[in-house]
Amino acid sequence: MQGFERLAATLCFGWAVIFLLVQYMAARGAAVKDYSTPAGSPLRGMIYAFTTGMLPAHKETVRKHPVKFLIGVTMHGGALFSILVALLLIAFPGMGSIYPPVTIPFLAVCAACGVYLFIRRVFSANLRAMSNFDDYFAAVATAGFIAAAALHEYGTIGTPAFLLISSGLFLYLPLGKLRHALFFFVARADYGRRLGYRGVYPADNRGA
Amino acid sequence: MSPESKSPRDIHSCMDAAKEALKKAAHSLGAYHLNACVRCGLCGETCHIYIADPVPENLPGVKASKVVSFYRRYHTLSGQLLPSLVGARDITPDALDELVETVFGRCTGCGRCGINCSIGLDVGAVMRIGRKIVSAAGKTPPSLCAVVGNQLADGNQMSISPDEVRKTADWICEDLRAEMADDSVTIPVDEHGRRILYLVNPREIKFFPLSLAAAAGVFHAAGESWTVASKFFDVTNYGLFAGDDESAAHITRNVLEEAERLGVEEVILSECGHGYRSFRWEGPNWTAAKYSRPVRSILELMVQYLETHRIKADRTKNLARVTLHDPCNLVRWGGLIEAQRRILRVAVSDFVEMTPNKEQNYCCGGGGGMLSMSEYGERRIASGKIKADQIRATGAKIVATPCHNCADQLIELNKRYKLGVEILSVVELLYNALDRSKAQSPSGPA
Repeated sequence: MQGFERLAATLCFGWAVIFLLVQYMAARGAAVKDYSTPAGSPLRGMIYAFTTGMLPAHKETVRKHPVKFLIGVTMHGGALFSILVALLLIAFPGMGSIYPPVTIPFLAVCAACGVYLFIRRVFSANLRAMSNFDDYFAAVATAGFIAAAALHEYGTIGTPAFLLISSGLFLYLPLGKLRHALFFFVARADYGRRLGYRGVYPADNRGA
Repeated sequence: MSPESKSPRDIHSCMDAAKEALKKAAHSLGAYHLNACVRCGLCGETCHIYIADPVPENLPGVKASKVVSFYRRYHTLSGQLLPSLVGARDITPDALDELVETVFGRCTGCGRCGINCSIGLDVGAVMRIGRKIVSAAGKTPPSLCAVVGNQLADGNQMSISPDEVRKTADWICEDLRAEMADDSVTIPVDEHGRRILYLVNPREIKFFPLSLAAAAGVFHAAGESWTVASKFFDVTNYGLFAGDDESAAHITRNVLEEAERLGVEEVILSECGHGYRSFRWEGPNWTAAKYSRPVRSILELMVQYLETHRIKADRTKNLARVTLHDPCNLVRWGGLIEAQRRILRVAVSDFVEMTPNKEQNYCCGGGGGMLSMSEYGERRIASGKIKADQIRATGAKIVATPCHNCADQLIELNKRYKLGVEILSVVELLYNALDRSKAQSPSGPA
């Protein structure tokens, strides 16, 4: 009954993973040797970059824009959760809703955050200056995907329809802006590693 | 290797060279960052240029997107198939001209936006990829090209002759002997077999002899065995700013060969932000080889002198309030954060930090080769206002900075914003504070 939708979602998810990995390998290129003498620990730099380095006390953008940052984090939390729901539905065909009393309000808030980010992009002159069609589309696609997950939890959208919507998102994921789903981690790890190597990270940031 | 010979002959070859430089960047670690920007727009207030002039063109995200758009066009599937939908742009002469204005005129490559990016995008590295593309296309601003040309042709950015170096060293030495009341003070030039080759900024020879004199005074007090070179003495490397790695490697090799020729054990770098970054961190990778001898900043050496009691400082000799400007290339790109603070804590009576400082410091506005590009002079001074405000807030009478490039900019900011401060190097303050009773003889420990 859901055979086609499950197959489509599985293939599209596989495409997303494989194409992201291909892009990662292409970006990685040949192994780059650093000939300079280290002054610190790359590992400690990476750990800092993903932990303390993201806290408001250590990151001015977070400190100055806590609400926007929180909205962004919430939306991303919803997107990750929705992907998880889709993967669970692929793996367990008979699975219904997860726990609607919690998941529906959570996903609704996350989707609302996604809508806010889209509206902000439309109305902010600064954001318009750096945005292209892909940026708007990614915002709509993500907010729509989270909303679809919420509606699936509520029962308005059936599993086949949600899997088809998920397939669309997975298909698009490695092609446009959403590839930062991988490159966020890769870029931050690389940045933390290099600054750790040079002894900049971990930073005590006493001057902030 | 001259700037002229690097200029492509026609538009076609110019575009090809730019694409080739982009291709190289696309298959290096920099490509991680070319793929990562989500254009959230939170980076604006991290940039001193945006703070001074908050137009979208000065947003780090917008600036980075100019470089990223080329990457998308040639190195992503969507950019190749549907360029207009994903903000992918062809490399054209007009697009390159726009890129020149962005990467040279609106960014000092200070990296403050990167360290505060919500994603972790190394915007500074992305902007340098932009500079590499521009450089490959032969469109680097001529004034910056000329400085690189001087370094390649004459061994230093100001084309100072070896004879002038010797004469300057002689008269600085005479003054220093009188000041220290010690006829054994020397400023050795091209001396073989010394322990240290001391690289200086040509500005020290031309305009700031007191800085070289201070270093010589401290070396003498510590009984150091040192020399400067008459030809390849330049601590700066404008290949870094020009995005010209080939020239940067050549300049690095010249100095390394000079150190080899003179048979020194160690190369010590004068106070210079980008000089430290270039020789300490980028140089080994530009030359694709580990150095055969250590390269350190004079700040690290001074800390060693103090910790091993080879010199002693009397902080009551510097009573005025002192604040410290952190050069971006030394601190945020170089990780040399504490040495200058350790020196100031023992050399001055009243040391106050700016806020923010260390890896969160604001660029003075003179970085990235800005001081050499007169076409952006007014923007440079305007972008330094946040630094001027920081200085004023400390109530300091002296601004110490371990970078002659930053010092030049701070001197201009001092005049424009009427700060009423004196700009000094860290070693100058240490020299002022020297407890001469602890001076070693030249034959002392080496």
